[in-house]
Amino acid sequence: MYQALLTRRYLTTKVMPLLAIVAVMLCTAMVLIVWSIMGGFLTMLLNSGRTLMGDVAISWPTSGFAYYDDLIERLEADPAVAAATPVIESFGTLSLPDGRIEGLQIKGIHGPSYGRVTGYTDSLWWRPIDEPLPRDTRYKDHVILASGEAYSGRIVKESEGSIRFRIESEKGRARTRTFSREEIAQLGRGVWQDIRLRNHDVWARHLDNGLHLREVDERTGVERPAMVIGIEVTGFNERTEGGVYIPRPFGVRTETGEVLWRNDRMIDSSLLVTLYPQGRSGRPVDVVSRILPVANEFRSGVYEIDSSVAYVNLDELQRMLRMDAAPRLEVGQGEYDVSIDPETGEERFETPEVQRVDPPRVTTVLVRAADGVTPDRLAAVARRIYAEFAAAHPGEVPAPPPDAGRAPPDSIIIQTWEQRQGTMVAAIKKETGLVMFIIMFISMVASFLILAIFWAMVSEKTKDIGVLRALGAGKLGVAWLWLRYGLAIGLIGSVLGGIMAHLIVWNINPIHEWIGRTMGLYIWDPKVYYFTEIPHEVEPWKAAIVLVGGLTFSILGALIPAVKAANMDPVQALRFE
Amino acid sequence: MTTLTFNTPSATAPGAASPILAARSVYKTYRLGRVDVPVLRGATLAVEPGEWVAILGASGSGKSTLLHLLGGLDRPDRRPAGGEGENTILFEGRPLNSMSAADLDRYRNTSVGFVFQFYHLLPELSVVENVLVGAMIRHGRWGYLRHGRSAQAEAASLLEAFGLGHRLRHRPAELSGGERQRVAIARALINRPAVLLADEPTGNLDRKTGDAILDALAAHRQATGRTMVLVTHDPEVAARADRVVHLRDGQVVSGPG
Repeated sequence: MYQALLTRRYLTTKVMPLLAIVAVMLCTAMVLIVWSIMGGFLTMLLNSGRTLMGDVAISWPTSGFAYYDDLIERLEADPAVAAATPVIESFGTLSLPDGRIEGLQIKGIHGPSYGRVTGYTDSLWWRPIDEPLPRDTRYKDHVILASGEAYSGRIVKESEGSIRFRIESEKGRARTRTFSREEIAQLGRGVWQDIRLRNHDVWARHLDNGLHLREVDERTGVERPAMVIGIEVTGFNERTEGGVYIPRPFGVRTETGEVLWRNDRMIDSSLLVTLYPQGRSGRPVDVVSRILPVANEFRSGVYEIDSSVAYVNLDELQRMLRMDAAPRLEVGQGEYDVSIDPETGEERFETPEVQRVDPPRVTTVLVRAADGVTPDRLAAVARRIYAEFAAAHPGEVPAPPPDAGRAPPDSIIIQTWEQRQGTMVAAIKKETGLVMFIIMFISMVASFLILAIFWAMVSEKTKDIGVLRALGAGKLGVAWLWLRYGLAIGLIGSVLGGIMAHLIVWNINPIHEWIGRTMGLYIWDPKVYYFTEIPHEVEPWKAAIVLVGGLTFSILGALIPAVKAANMDPVQALRFE
Repeated sequence: MTTLTFNTPSATAPGAASPILAARSVYKTYRLGRVDVPVLRGATLAVEPGEWVAILGASGSGKSTLLHLLGGLDRPDRRPAGGEGENTILFEGRPLNSMSAADLDRYRNTSVGFVFQFYHLLPELSVVENVLVGAMIRHGRWGYLRHGRSAQAEAASLLEAFGLGHRLRHRPAELSGGERQRVAIARALINRPAVLLADEPTGNLDRKTGDAILDALAAHRQATGRTMVLVTHDPEVAARADRVVHLRDGQVVSGPG
């Protein structure tokens, strides 16, 4: 009974327990934050590999393989397979309106089926927002001057001849300037508000176009093949701290030497794509260029992918790379088959006979596992199905890989996403180990800190222990008092630490932006790391483990001083000053 | 002075022939660094029920040590007993060194009450809570639910009797030295112990306040007949007791010698 009373009073009247609670809180929060962010980073890295490239890839690079529809049909008939999709993986360049040329990975995909195998559908950025978050509705105005200078902030006052504008710099400083109407080339109101909140139908159309990689002419209804590019490919999308993309103005020099300032959205324009189809030897056999409309942009969250991948309509890419269906002609004697009419003696060109039509080809078939099927099991299933498929098309498709041993160079490549990304996965596993070691070390430091604080608290209350013993309190009773005290501090500290960690992790991106803005310190540069934002989720099981850990260490920290208190000679304790 | 009303001690047996508390040839040595310092060298004392005994001695003579031994806070040296029952403390004829740790805790809680020179109140607790701690220890969590109300009434009446009825919710820091000592006395009496052990109860107070404390103790004793052992270096304080014994060279001597 007295333990409860004294615990309550110690907690409410002393500074020491407050410090102890803060220490436990900070330690718990620190461990949970590090674990959530680093663990989240690694999980994101691993998961992104999976969501972006499916579980298993069956590939034959460069020249590709035919009859993929049959292979996909066979694969999808198996219960271990959720979906499969044809893909062409190639390289090319993209010519941007400001004159830059970007080298890209060009992938030919069939949107709807690709979306079933990967997270493609969800990654399409330009789409209606049906459930806006508060950050989506935050906005700023912006002004672009005729001279090319661009500012963002808020319109303070508008009059006929001029506009008072409060400029908010990236570092968070603000100043007010007045611009005359003549100076202003463009005035954007609320452009920081996510434009996807308005004109639902427009964005729904963009989403549909992106999904099918096409552009439909509104007037004629004619469909054109289109492409979907990564949102960081052009560099014309500026990501605001709220996670909204706004157009970044860019200058284009005209033929007369003038600089024209533009801030186009890529989804409203077309870009020149150039491909270099290669022969079997890998040597370019041609250069093919097409101006393709940008149907949408995608954002996978992996910076490397968002800045270097463009998806092109599969049929169009097959045509460009000459992987589409082509008639196979009868082979003649020479370059031209010419025959002489035996009656007239006239020479006549022989029209080559179409023997058959070669089916279209793709370089890869991506497969997604059904729920509960591991990538390794799926790879085994894929190997079996491919062997059946190869047997059905003898001599026309690459050989199946052998069941064991080294695969000969002419056999198809069947790999899980982990095998495809072997180096990255190995690096992630090493990093996970390192992070776990750091967390263990941090936890150890935290527990010693808690122990030290409790030791100091017991020392401070030595005389109380003597008094309680003199009043008849037993050793166990005194030990329980300190354990209870530790438990209370541990519980309060851990819960507060858990709350603090949740608040910090949930808001880590705005906090990071703020630190960057005010101190110029950008720790998480998306150009260095894979992701454009810091992982910001706390998994409940991690929080539970850390909270229980904080509590356990508080009790352990209190246990040694509690035993010390219980074994203290009451006479010595009473003499303690 | 107002009339003091007190409850009589539960374990007191006035007029009984055997001593209620006795030290039989008790030895106690402290170790200071590498040197053994003998403090008590065969101290013998017998306190009759209802008696007020003052132990008078110079500073460092071992008065407090003897009181701690009598109160079961400390144990005599482990040494081969010189004879039957030697080097022991007896409470109502029962040797303390034969008691288990739990029995000794209970002895300190219910059979004796300590009053210290420096009060030793728990600073975080209010006056009434300080007094109640002993009752809480006695009854335990569940027992206190049953006995809490009567214990609180007892604490309030004790504090009222010592003139602190209006100070129940105050913290020790808000009290004067004399008031603190009266709280400490009330705390010692909450479980109605048979013996009250006071270690220089006026040593930290001015003469006038000290006298008031002694008056309160005397009134309490008169009202309850409780056995009291008081340790002091002040002959005037000691003179208030029924009997004065001297502690010299680690032994108890009756006369001032």
